[in-house]
Amino acid sequence: MKISDAQFDKLLDVQSAQELKSFLAQRRMVPSLPQANTLRQHLGDLQKNLKKIRLGIVHTYTSELLDPWLLFSAALNELDLDIYHAPYGVTLQAAEANSGLVKHSPDVTLLLLTKEDLHPAFQTPPAGIKLADRQEVDNQFQRTVHGLVAALRDKLTGQLIVTILPSPASPGLGMYDDMAESSETLWWSQTKACLANRFRTQFSGVGLLDLDQLVMQIGRDSFFDSRLWYSSTFPFTSQGALAVSNAVTSTAASQHLTKAKVIALDADNTLWGGVIGEDGINGIALGKEYPGRAFVDFQKRLLSLQQRGFLLVLCSKNNPDDLNEVLVDHPHQVLKNEHFAAQRVNWLPKPDNLASLAEELNLGLDSFIFVDDSDHECSAVRHSLKEVLVVQVPSRPTEIPGCLDAVARLEITALTTEDLEKTAMYSQERQRKSQLEALTETGSSIDDYLLSLNMKMTVGLNDLSHLSRLSQLTQKTNQFNLTTRRYSEQDLAEKIGDKNIFVYHFSLEDNFGDSGIVGLAIIEGDSGKKAQLDTFLMSCRVIGRQAEQAFLHTILRDLQDKGVEALSAEYIPTRKNVLVQSFLPDNGFNITVDGSGDLSLAGSPIHTDNAFPIIIEGSLLQ
Amino acid sequence: MSVFEKLQRIMAATLEVPTNAISESSAMDAIEEWDSLGHVHIMVALEQAFDLYMDVDDFAKLDSVPAILQYLESESVS
Repeated sequence: MKISDAQFDKLLDVQSAQELKSFLAQRRMVPSLPQANTLRQHLGDLQKNLKKIRLGIVHTYTSELLDPWLLFSAALNELDLDIYHAPYGVTLQAAEANSGLVKHSPDVTLLLLTKEDLHPAFQTPPAGIKLADRQEVDNQFQRTVHGLVAALRDKLTGQLIVTILPSPASPGLGMYDDMAESSETLWWSQTKACLANRFRTQFSGVGLLDLDQLVMQIGRDSFFDSRLWYSSTFPFTSQGALAVSNAVTSTAASQHLTKAKVIALDADNTLWGGVIGEDGINGIALGKEYPGRAFVDFQKRLLSLQQRGFLLVLCSKNNPDDLNEVLVDHPHQVLKNEHFAAQRVNWLPKPDNLASLAEELNLGLDSFIFVDDSDHECSAVRHSLKEVLVVQVPSRPTEIPGCLDAVARLEITALTTEDLEKTAMYSQERQRKSQLEALTETGSSIDDYLLSLNMKMTVGLNDLSHLSRLSQLTQKTNQFNLTTRRYSEQDLAEKIGDKNIFVYHFSLEDNFGDSGIVGLAIIEGDSGKKAQLDTFLMSCRVIGRQAEQAFLHTILRDLQDKGVEALSAEYIPTRKNVLVQSFLPDNGFNITVDGSGDLSLAGSPIHTDNAFPIIIEGSLLQ
Repeated sequence: MSVFEKLQRIMAATLEVPTNAISESSAMDAIEEWDSLGHVHIMVALEQAFDLYMDVDDFAKLDSVPAILQYLESESVS
């Protein structure tokens, strides 16, 4: 929808990028080009010191005309973009060591490609390519893309986003295409699936951004502008250009902003319409009719976010019994008790409840997104917990299901096994706590408790198959982290490939379940006998079980076996890692005047057997 | 607001120059930001701001403020 002058004046009153973004998204408003520029300048005055992202663009059509939309969309995502356009055309020159693109050292490289430029067969109508020849065309097409991506991946450290321009025309067979054996649509979706699979399995930090999804969302006629295409080789309308830009910048944002981990939900007028305490279980709006069906849809989207790895928690002012009745008995309630990692249903101020939820989950408040319909609650949280991202639920039920769609921090670029099982892990943690409480009541010690868990640690070394989880650990771990160095999958792949660098990880299992991979250490050696502890981190979900010592000792023993005689380490303090400030001296490192720690490994061999209430296994110990 | 004043504001916001950089006699080669890319941006902005559907053949002809004003008049923009 266009933005009228009167509406535009109101937009210029917004006080944050987030507010503007949800406003535009909910009303499906598309600013005109001068409006977009003006809004960006307004946001620029509001927000200083934005995260700077260097974007490189490799393109086979005019990409410079995207700039105002990319910059606008970046401002909405609280990023400051520095854009470099490689020379027109898809050649491997862009990947040469002294190319402008390589010198720009982009954090994100966007490839704007067309099918025609990747394979000559696509320069004529695809319907003309015989079924029997398609496989060969496909293979060559895949090889060309693969070669280009491999060459860029080799020289560029950032993330690569590959796009292939959808066809501006409907399939050659028209409406019959879906029925035809030679369906172009089917062929193209298979080709895309193969490409995506290649990117996922053979590269790190490479993603296929499917522009067809955007075409579906806004429609082919709203996406393509034939006049700009024929006159300037620029395919997009303003709406199309903005959609592409939003997809690119939110991918970039999801990599570079603090990751959201928790969605804290209000209940009344958020998960259902009405107030359970007043309207009762039969009176709230939740079901098959309007407006209840909008709330059902919102709950389904939340469930999908939970399956993507975000934790859902309840933060509601209600009588616990009223609320529990809906969770357990309401026939249309999608989110049940097991989907919530924690709940605060009481009459305390919401900021207090959020703080106690953060404590229970062992997560920082800056990883929280608070979702509530009330002006009062939203502003209370905004006011007292500045690090929490507040999303106010729209007052129109029809706008509620999509209200989290535009939150870039909810975008993910990889899905790990740990993500899928996260809520279950938190429930295991609650079971551990009750076991500890039960044992303490009978007078047992913490050591008895740890022994009772029957912990088993598996330590691995230089394992490329866990790259996305290992990178995720460096991105997300703030508390138990000695140096807080963030690494992309690509960075870690390079380290693993270096014979002087050792990347260790561990997972931990006990009676209550498997924590997955929860610890990472990176040791950089030189060819001599000294090594440096570059990274040592552990997920907060296994804190307090002596796993860190067991992991460290296993590594030390392995380094001894490798002939390393001295290990130096440092603690880089941040606002959040006080927890590990004495980790080095506690574990025998001698602290030097400059604050770093040294440990000699030259003495007697380190034993790990029976030193901890943990059985240690792993390939490197055999 | 006159058509010129509205045009002036639209062009200034589009090219990201001060409003007074656009005068009633401005032409494409006299303003640095009004290069070939800036020109496409102006055409897109005109369509959006004045609710027009322009012909590609007109793009090249509209290379000065007087030419654009004349075009807007012929399209009955007031």
